[in-house]
Amino acid sequence: MSEKKRRGGAGAGAASGSASKKPRVSTAASYAESLRSKLRPDASILATLRSLASACSKSKPAGSSSSSSSASKALAAEDDPAASYIVVADQDSASVTSRINRLVLAAARSILSGRGFSFAVPSRAASNQVYLPDLDRIVLVRRESARPFANVATARKATITARVLSLVHAVLRRGIHVTKRDLFYTDVKLFGDQAQSDAVLDDVSCMLGCTRSSLHVVASEKGVVVGRLTFADDGDRIDCTRMGVGGKAIPPNIDRVSGIESDALFILLVEKDAAFMRLAEDRFYNRFPCIILTAKGQPDVATRLFLRRLKVELKLPVLALVDSDPYGLKILSVYMCGSKNMSYDSANLTTPDIKWLGVRPSDLDKYRVPEQCRLPMTDHDIKVGKELLEEDFVKQNEGWVKELETMLRTRQKAEIQALSSFGFQYLTEVYLPLKLQQQDWI
Amino acid sequence: MDDDAGDGAASGGTKRKVTAASSSAAAKGKAAGKGKAASKASALATAKESSLLKQKSPAEFFAENKNIAGFDNPGKSLYTTMRELVENALDSAESISELPDIEIIIEEITKSKFNTMIGLVDRQRIDEELYDDFESAKAREKRLAKEARFQETQAKNAALGKKVKEAPAARGKGRGEAAFFRVTCKDNGRGMPHDDIPNMLGRVLSGTKYGLRQTRGKFGLGAKMALIWSKMSTGLPIEIKSSMKGQNFISFCRLDIDIHKNVPHVHLHEKRENKDRWHGAELQVIIEGNWTTHRSKILHYMRQMAVITPYAQFLFRFLSDSPDKNLTIQFARRTDVMPPIPLQTKHHPSAVDLLLIKRLISETTKQNLLQFLQHEFVNISKSHAERLIGEMGPDFSAKTTVKSLTSQQLVRIHQLFRQAKFDDPSGNCLSPAGEYNLRLGIIKELHPDLVATHASSPQVFEGHPFIVEAGISIGGKDVKHGLNIFRYANRIPLLFEQGADVITRTALKRINWSSYKINQQQDKIGVFVSIVSTKIPFKGTGKEYIGDDITEIASAVQSALKQCCLQLKSKIVKKLQARERQDRKRNLNRYIPDVARAIMETLGEIADESPPKRPRYDKEDEELLEKVNSEEVTEMTFRDCLTQHVEQVDYEMALEYAMQSGVSEEPREALYLNSLEGSYKFIDFQSPVFVFRFIP
Repeated sequence: MSEKKRRGGAGAGAASGSASKKPRVSTAASYAESLRSKLRPDASILATLRSLASACSKSKPAGSSSSSSSASKALAAEDDPAASYIVVADQDSASVTSRINRLVLAAARSILSGRGFSFAVPSRAASNQVYLPDLDRIVLVRRESARPFANVATARKATITARVLSLVHAVLRRGIHVTKRDLFYTDVKLFGDQAQSDAVLDDVSCMLGCTRSSLHVVASEKGVVVGRLTFADDGDRIDCTRMGVGGKAIPPNIDRVSGIESDALFILLVEKDAAFMRLAEDRFYNRFPCIILTAKGQPDVATRLFLRRLKVELKLPVLALVDSDPYGLKILSVYMCGSKNMSYDSANLTTPDIKWLGVRPSDLDKYRVPEQCRLPMTDHDIKVGKELLEEDFVKQNEGWVKELETMLRTRQKAEIQALSSFGFQYLTEVYLPLKLQQQDWI
Repeated sequence: MDDDAGDGAASGGTKRKVTAASSSAAAKGKAAGKGKAASKASALATAKESSLLKQKSPAEFFAENKNIAGFDNPGKSLYTTMRELVENALDSAESISELPDIEIIIEEITKSKFNTMIGLVDRQRIDEELYDDFESAKAREKRLAKEARFQETQAKNAALGKKVKEAPAARGKGRGEAAFFRVTCKDNGRGMPHDDIPNMLGRVLSGTKYGLRQTRGKFGLGAKMALIWSKMSTGLPIEIKSSMKGQNFISFCRLDIDIHKNVPHVHLHEKRENKDRWHGAELQVIIEGNWTTHRSKILHYMRQMAVITPYAQFLFRFLSDSPDKNLTIQFARRTDVMPPIPLQTKHHPSAVDLLLIKRLISETTKQNLLQFLQHEFVNISKSHAERLIGEMGPDFSAKTTVKSLTSQQLVRIHQLFRQAKFDDPSGNCLSPAGEYNLRLGIIKELHPDLVATHASSPQVFEGHPFIVEAGISIGGKDVKHGLNIFRYANRIPLLFEQGADVITRTALKRINWSSYKINQQQDKIGVFVSIVSTKIPFKGTGKEYIGDDITEIASAVQSALKQCCLQLKSKIVKKLQARERQDRKRNLNRYIPDVARAIMETLGEIADESPPKRPRYDKEDEELLEKVNSEEVTEMTFRDCLTQHVEQVDYEMALEYAMQSGVSEEPREALYLNSLEGSYKFIDFQSPVFVFRFIP
């Protein structure tokens, strides 16, 4: 269908398509094309971007002290909250090992004295996760619960915890990294399914007060990056402009990454693989120097860590291109404020100050996206949308509230691909340049 | 025309209400009359045709519409015949407050036996091709080939050790052989007066007594429909033996029915000796039936009947030529508490229609309107009647003679009855099975693990009182997983058309079983709901289910079931706790090896590190590592310590559990011992609190 639209939009041979629809489609398409003429030369757009980037890097030192500087600094600054909230930090393997040793020795002594054993595990229940407006992220309230072995309800969890501790200990001792899946397969019979070993792994992170990557357990690669970026992955030099269309997989272990260099003017965060591919294939980063990043849906820990690292080291503005639906916004929220599951590590994982570039509900009318490319919101969508309106991080930004209200009022959603109705390359050739030119982000 | 034709309670047999049937018979008569009038005016030819119009006797009507009464096909007919006889027998015994003792025998009669009975000589087939089940040469070839193939696969499967499939039942096409059955039902009820027997059984819709009460029957035909069916299918007469209490003779009667005239045709009517002072009735009828298709329905019926009438004793037998098919089931008596006989009651003003008012007027002995209102209806007191008459208008007064009321005035009364407010009828006239009996019945027939029962207070639907009793059982023998629904209307089981029934729907859709810790798929749940009323709002032609559209009944059923569930919930929770306690030790012990291994592995690694490299620990920790190195502490040490710990914790928890739950036990069930008949010599073992009696 979009192929047809594109041809219709080109105006040359609009013979195809039903007669009744043709006028409307072609007007929408011609309007879309007319926007192309509004584009100023790339040079002027680049100028605005450059000023933005410099403003961002200048303002950073001032703004970063509050929330988004390095972990140690954040810890120091949050003397008070650290007592009541759990904040984990990166630690070297020696200190993690010694912490595990202490836990295991205590448990062993307790067993030998005939008292069984018990672990004190911070509760990661949903009720325990709160959003702190001051820090602009979700944090975990410090509340520990005992996990005794001699209780039917907790015996299994206590056993798994002991097992995970011993496995992590072995991994650290050998100085290697394993994936969550590896860990699970070392004792499938006990763990049952991976969700259980993963959950306990997060528990162990909290218990030891270190990040999950400090445990040397990583998730498999999910995110990809392409664009004006060079870094060293475990010592190998990577040039992200030469990664083809697929891009470079974001290393699950952020410690491997070093020597980040870039001449980009901004970071473009993309929700979906399809849009990422379009941008990569059209070498969008060569027209407007940028780093393009996607986690293919909900972001994993590695992508979030990587984005934060880029933001902190390069001090570039981050622009987000997500679907115009509640989930797009939700994904944005995870990048910005963290997820509930990883709230204990939110200090290292969140990147505040992401600008919502598109596709915003208001864009649907502004760019006259045809009706047939918009979808009606389901009841569930509306429910999620209404819940988002109640979220503090949305409320903080007036523009976002307006957009969300627009979405709920029109009851329409659209994916990034809806723009393809004006041509597959409309996104890279018209939509994004125009957005950048107009500085149309909120 | 809404004649309630029954045979009177005195008959001890059939006392049913026939509404639909009689009024439709009347409609037919009316139509016939109209036809006549029309034809008079028209040409002679049509007049001649009209003279061919016939009157139809009620017996003929039922013979032609036998599906109304549950005689759709031979199989169903066998079932309905049996149940009508059983229900009559129960009514009869209950009417004289005798604990019912009922014997049902269904005897298969082969064709040759049947032929000799009716004096027909068996004939060999000469022209085979004449018959429907003739097998042409080609068909035989095909069949043989198929059988050979089947045998081959059978052999293959057997060789491979697979389960051998049953050979498909070889059956001929067409209707095949008709099967005949002798159904005998013997009770210990009231019996019938000698001279009334022919009329009580040989005349459909006969009877003088009219009344509004809770009755078992659904069609008001009872044994008479069975008689019509036997007449239609076998032509054999019905045999009745009957004796009333204190009668020194047994009436024996063999009769059939003249369907066209609706009169009994008596073959033999005599008095015989009654040596053992037996009282009751025994009916024997030979009908066409189908045991194979309706076997399970008949057995279900008996079982469900045994649940709702635990005070009755049933002996069910099936006899046939092949002994392996024979069946004898005894449903023992479990209690001697019988529900009271349902009382006859008067109509509730909001439940009457115009025809009923007219009939009440024609039957009443009361002279004036005031007395009529006061005495022919429930819930109208004298003062209330006066107020009602005042409301009716100036044409009415308390002194108005009821018989002189015009039809307009009757309409006015009817309208007022519809609009005015009356107290709800009390449920006193109803005779529910009783929560106690329902419970005993469930325990007796299902032997469930848990049972809960609840009886609702009387409620009202369109002027008719009704009571809902419900029971829920969990577990038991011969109960399938999931919901097993037992439906009763006026204390008889409903077996057909379960899907649309209010009870089924309520149990399936409106009860959230999981919230009562009951697993709707896995647990063996028995749902028993008994509804009694002076008028059960049946749906469907066969009157086999109660519609789901009556909110009063639906909500009463729902709340009764919920009450049962609530009772069960606490018991189930207790059970779960007890089971958890049992499982605790096992669950904990299961993880001991994993823990011991995990801890030991890490300890081993810590201990392996050479002392200068590794950080210093506390003194105790160092000691422990020493022991690990010297293998004084091993994986087994951890296992043993943990096992001991679990042992100790379990003991403590058991103590705590015992303290919490205390010694409260389940309420005890009363034990029912059948009273002994005859005299025995006893040997008594005396003790201060009881006596054991042994019958040597």
